Amino acid sequence: MSSAAPAGQLRADDVSFAYVGAARAALRHVNLGVAPGEVVLVTGASGCGKSTLALALCGLIPSRVHGELRGRVMFGTTPLSGMKPHEASQLVGMVFQNPNLQLINQTVQSEVAFGPENLALPQPEIAARVDWCLDVTGMAGMRTAAVVTLSGGQKQRTAIAATLAMRPRILVLDEPLSDLDPVGAQEVLATLQRLARDGGTGVIIIEHRVDEVAPWADRVVLMDDGRVVLDQPPRAAWAEPGPWRATGVGIPDVVRLAHAVPGAFGSGLPLSVREAADAVKDTWFEAALAAAAAARGIGPAASAGPEVGPPLLSWDGVSVEFDGKPVVDDVTLAVDEGEWVALIGANGSGKSTLTGLTVGLGKPSAGVVRFRGRPVRPGKVFDHAAQVALLLQAADDMLFETTVRKELEFGFKFRARPKDPVLDVPEAVEFFGFAGREEDSPWELSQGGRQRLALAALLVGAPGVLVLDEPTTGQDANHMRAFLRLLDRVRARTGITIVTVTHDIRGLASRAARVVLLGEGQVRADGPASRVFAMTGDLIRWGVLAPPLARLQSELLGPGVGDVLLEVDDLASAVLTHRHGAPPAASPPAGALRS
Amino acid sequence: MMNSLLTQTVISYLLIFAVPMVLPVVFLKVVGLSGLRTLVTYEARDTPLHKLDPRLKVLYPIGMGILSILFTWKAMLIVFGLTILPWFWLRPSRAKIKVLMVMIIGPAIAGFWGQGLYYLPPPPIHFLFKFPWTMAWLGSPGITSYGMIFGLQQTSRVLVTVSTSMLILVSTDVGEFTWAFERFKAPPHVGFALTAALRFLPEMITRVNLVFRAVELRGYDMSRPRWHQLNRWPEYAKRLSRCVILVTVPLLIGTLRGTTTMAMVADARGFGASKKRGSLRVHKTTAVDIWGYAILAVLVVGALVLNHLGIGARYYG
Repeated sequence: MSSAAPAGQLRADDVSFAYVGAARAALRHVNLGVAPGEVVLVTGASGCGKSTLALALCGLIPSRVHGELRGRVMFGTTPLSGMKPHEASQLVGMVFQNPNLQLINQTVQSEVAFGPENLALPQPEIAARVDWCLDVTGMAGMRTAAVVTLSGGQKQRTAIAATLAMRPRILVLDEPLSDLDPVGAQEVLATLQRLARDGGTGVIIIEHRVDEVAPWADRVVLMDDGRVVLDQPPRAAWAEPGPWRATGVGIPDVVRLAHAVPGAFGSGLPLSVREAADAVKDTWFEAALAAAAAARGIGPAASAGPEVGPPLLSWDGVSVEFDGKPVVDDVTLAVDEGEWVALIGANGSGKSTLTGLTVGLGKPSAGVVRFRGRPVRPGKVFDHAAQVALLLQAADDMLFETTVRKELEFGFKFRARPKDPVLDVPEAVEFFGFAGREEDSPWELSQGGRQRLALAALLVGAPGVLVLDEPTTGQDANHMRAFLRLLDRVRARTGITIVTVTHDIRGLASRAARVVLLGEGQVRADGPASRVFAMTGDLIRWGVLAPPLARLQSELLGPGVGDVLLEVDDLASAVLTHRHGAPPAASPPAGALRS
Repeated sequence: MMNSLLTQTVISYLLIFAVPMVLPVVFLKVVGLSGLRTLVTYEARDTPLHKLDPRLKVLYPIGMGILSILFTWKAMLIVFGLTILPWFWLRPSRAKIKVLMVMIIGPAIAGFWGQGLYYLPPPPIHFLFKFPWTMAWLGSPGITSYGMIFGLQQTSRVLVTVSTSMLILVSTDVGEFTWAFERFKAPPHVGFALTAALRFLPEMITRVNLVFRAVELRGYDMSRPRWHQLNRWPEYAKRLSRCVILVTVPLLIGTLRGTTTMAMVADARGFGASKKRGSLRVHKTTAVDIWGYAILAVLVVGALVLNHLGIGARYYG
């Protein structure tokens, strides 16, 4: 076993941990060190032990989470594993995934002061800590705001501020971006980088959204099955895609592009859109990209074409108000039979409110929502649920029965079995992979399994449209891909219309045929994903960050580009095809990429 | 005769069951679970009431509650009026006013209706409506004016405490309560329990609402029959009670997950690490505080003196 960690450094030495009653260890011989001022991204597939590692690193294992711990976690010469939580939290602070569950007080400043107050610090010291924490997290202007009025990003920054008030030297964040829109995520990441660079705080970010964290990280740690399988600086970590493919964990799009077009980005891998754009500016890549765009005959972004026939689902001049404030403002939108539409927008832009109306959840203050031309009656959820299958973000809240089979048959207790279901129960069992598990409890399934079950249970009826509210939130790349494949199969099999609400711009929204951008309750853009994501400036204005590849093309081709390629393979193929028609390659600018 | 008995019986049943049946419907329609969330949510504002000494805020409902017990009905109306005045100072949101009105008027109606039916004064009794034997076997001989007035008195006494408590609840950050309790030498756990309850009650209400909606989305029929579809009401009641059992599982699992995280957060933030707690708050006593304390003291002491002198005092025995 290793000796003490260097001063100020957090180190896990050969740490293994098994939860009480678990047959298999969640952590296996983990060695990891984090220095002051360092930003470390820890990623891996769901269930690989990332969150368990976080609990161990901040001393909550074994003091609050019981099981068998071997090895030790040291902060400098101090062992954390035997410390009381409040002592450990003054060395290593933990920010949990859901900010709602960790904000105990009603106002921002009360929340931040809670820790120092518990330590019985003198009032001037508490006030100084609160001021500093609010200042460094950019929340000083909201110190008296009620927690319930904050956006997701603000809540997460408040949680970070409250953890910082304990003055930890290292901050561990467990999926801090999972509930945030892309702009909120950037706010949080900028805060963390400021803490690391200016305050010397070591930061460990456990996250699936590697695209967003990659540019900010000094090191990347990949976990698989309770082990650390890779621990390197980002460029070195992604230099070889093998381990990432083997674990099914996502690689940043610009990195994948650099691998797909070898040599185009110079000697090092780009980690951000800015780096990628700088690397290929004035090179053959840029010329080939322009040639490919010209060959596609792209003009300025056009609005959606005229509708043919009556729409399946429509919102006609719909407005919704909460407490006198407009949440949805005069939205007119139509979805045709068989379409796949993604609604995107910042938190609070009205996406979920709009989709909830399709099944009678909520009441418009003006306008009408129609399904197959008939008005949807507010409050009549049971009546409309047979036609509109709405899968909530928290799919666990939609499971009520004791076995998988009973769950699938649940709806038929109150409604006759449909003559032409999208899938009947035996088909659903096979299609969704529950064969042999029909008599298992839904709670014995994995989180992904429970989500599949909730989706299957909706499809055994005869819905005309499937409405999905943030179905991929908090899922790793593997689960996300599996879910997208599943949706593709469902569509191929049933031809069902899909409307998704999502922040997953890179995955789910890019897969949809049509993207609708909502901003402050109004439709701000509506068209094919390739065109809407080309409007990078408008997207940022309404709190959405376009996918990295779209931003790269926009950077290189200018803001007037009307259409972008969203898949790495498509983009690589396009530039390689037009490489020879492009002017001779220029050398990448010196220093464009750090190796 | 038969017609008369039948008519009287129908009227009697309507009278006795109308209020208990209408009030929950009014509550669900006007307030609902989301309205309850509004009721217990703190509204951060910059009013003198928000800045008032938290200790005074804790003492205020207690003091007014004492007054409501000591005084006679007519004097009590003055006390009730006094509790209404600060609401004009606070100017709550329209949504909150709507919910508050239902929460105050609803119990008032229920109270005076219930007492009107079952509180029997000494003879001679003046019945507003006397029930026939077909109704009287349920235990109430009829609706008495005396009983209704008595019910109104009792309800008003309760409403004094409700009104003052609500006023404080919507204008006070829980941290201030905790601070006040600590100044009163209460254990920190009391403040923490109150903090957690008031912070998470709105979240809990939202979650309950969501899970009930999720049941409907899964095809569980929660639609209410029309009032005249009497044969469908027992089935509805059965479905409703089964639904409560169904939603318990996801609610319980979600709550347990949440409380585990919350407990770890409280531990990590050092709750319970020290017997004493510090405080960010430094309350400098203002003129408004002094006036507030003075008015409360005058009211309580004045009430005790008047009560001792038999002026406006309740008659016992």
